[in-house]
Amino acid sequence: MNRIRLYLSNDTSSCAAGAERLAEAWRSRSDVELVRTSSRGAFFLEPMVERDSPDGRLAWCQVAPDDLPRILAGDGSVPVSTIPFIAKQTRHTFASFGATEPLSTEAYQAHGGLAGLRAAQQVSPAAIIQEIKTSRLRGRGGAAFPVWKKWEVAATTTADRKYVVANADEGDAGTYCDRMIMEGDPFRLIEGMLICGRAIGAQAGYVYCRQEYPTATAGMHAAIRAAEAAGWLEIDGRRFSIEVVSGAGSYVCGEETALLESLEGRRGVVRARPPHPAQSGLYGRPTIVSNVLTFATIPNILARGGAWHASMGTEGSRGTAVLQLGGRVKQPGLIEIPFGLTLREVLDQFGQGMADGARLKAVQVGGPLGSLFTDAQLDIPICFDAFAKADAILGHGGIVVFDDETDMLELSRHLMAFVADESCGKCVPCRIGSLRAREILETVQAGQATEADLALLTELGDTMKAASLCGLGARAPYPVLSALEQFPVEFRSRLRS
Amino acid sequence: MKTPLPNGLDDLLVRARPPHGEPPDILRVLHAVHDLCGHIDAQLIPAIAHSQGVTEAEVAGVLSYYPSLNTQPVGRHRVQVCLGETCFANRCDRVIEAIHTKLGIDLGQTTCDGRFTLEPVSCVGNCAVSPSVRIDGELHGRVRPSDVPGLLDRYR
Repeated sequence: MNRIRLYLSNDTSSCAAGAERLAEAWRSRSDVELVRTSSRGAFFLEPMVERDSPDGRLAWCQVAPDDLPRILAGDGSVPVSTIPFIAKQTRHTFASFGATEPLSTEAYQAHGGLAGLRAAQQVSPAAIIQEIKTSRLRGRGGAAFPVWKKWEVAATTTADRKYVVANADEGDAGTYCDRMIMEGDPFRLIEGMLICGRAIGAQAGYVYCRQEYPTATAGMHAAIRAAEAAGWLEIDGRRFSIEVVSGAGSYVCGEETALLESLEGRRGVVRARPPHPAQSGLYGRPTIVSNVLTFATIPNILARGGAWHASMGTEGSRGTAVLQLGGRVKQPGLIEIPFGLTLREVLDQFGQGMADGARLKAVQVGGPLGSLFTDAQLDIPICFDAFAKADAILGHGGIVVFDDETDMLELSRHLMAFVADESCGKCVPCRIGSLRAREILETVQAGQATEADLALLTELGDTMKAASLCGLGARAPYPVLSALEQFPVEFRSRLRS
Repeated sequence: MKTPLPNGLDDLLVRARPPHGEPPDILRVLHAVHDLCGHIDAQLIPAIAHSQGVTEAEVAGVLSYYPSLNTQPVGRHRVQVCLGETCFANRCDRVIEAIHTKLGIDLGQTTCDGRFTLEPVSCVGNCAVSPSVRIDGELHGRVRPSDVPGLLDRYR
């Protein structure tokens, strides 16, 4: 009997949306060959099933187990290439998502994998760094630091050992692109780390993956084994080992120096800088710590040239922005587009507006430390500089949309309680400030606060912004103070009269 | 009298000794003990410290720092509700309320029969199909409060 090949995503969110249920229901069918792939990131359409056709893949969306007969009959499909959410994107880093099996080294190479590494092997380490400089790539984890500068410092610092560390502690709520890369295209991360390793002269790499991502952790372990077996884990004939290390639920371990402390097995407490990790990082050796998405962006830059990357985006933000849309919109999912579209355009064109019956109240960009935007503020272009100018952050690209049922006072308390829980305790402004701020917000909720308490909250926030050791304390006041500024009635109506 | 160590822990701690000249790795050995025992009893701190050649205070410091290392036994099933901002926007509070109604426990508590422990988790990266509830490693997305009773009934 001819088995019909069906493609079904194996991504955590696809499975949580029902893909796993389909796989269970259809696994024993003799007329079906199920191929588990990465996800296209159009999660509002998941579980999504695809079939090959002469004109490319066909998709069935929001599939239930008993939809199988019409899928096998070929009824009711849409060509994947015509799904607007996907067609309107500029997929480079995420180009093969949805098409390939994550752990197939053959599929990776068939879709252009290893071209960047091969190009990097043909040139000197200095030339690799020059290519990254030409690309004008800035770190995608949140700090947006020029990648080539870190690499140059690490490359020119003399040491007996050097390290490459992928920051996979994707802790910003509302973000999931690193999880998708590790689950769906893990060799891209490995390739980026190998290129970095050659550029700086490193002998070993680590992927510090948050404990909340068990599937990504398992996927990376398997991918490293497969890469090892394929003979990929070497640089200029010398072994380059890559190891996955699990975090243990600490948000601040996403900060690069806290991450290094944790990687050494200690409390994930922030280190004072300088020295920067590129000079003195893991075990005091030069270390490049970059976000997973940053490493995953590198292979294409080497394969297609720095100028290609620099040709996309805005003046200060070159290349593509990887946004992760969630909350009360119609179409949540992963979006890769050149920098420069406005936040409103992203919400309209990709989010397709609010979920049924919901009205927009606020949008938070860049995780729990990101500023809140109201409807009137949505015309801001998605790029590092415009966000910096607005005292906001693009962070890791998370966009969370809140509807008009949201209690902004409770959201503020929720955010400040998160920071108070996660503060590593090293510096006083963050450790005490976040706790006091949370207490003030709880006093407002209890109807016991006065104007003086709100003034204290603002003052406390200003101190935290100016005097905290890392971004956790320094950014924590922004969403809370912007909520107070944009929605004053929700706070002031709760004051003691 | 010395408290006997749980089965297999002796071997684990011997294997976890850092090779000569290598630095200790407290978090790694704590992960291993946690995997073996399901939680880390404070009574084990001296043995763990000895295996790593560090002070008990250093081990206690690391143990108390990381939220996902439990120092108390948890229920047979761990129910984790995501409190990330996307889940907040998609009303995870109503999901928690439904769990409370069904099991009578709040975040951080275990049912009297030891069947369920309810824990908060800050973002499981499932934001696009939120709100999210993870039970024993199985992730459920787009969870409605009305789904909760049926979902929990699957775990005995």
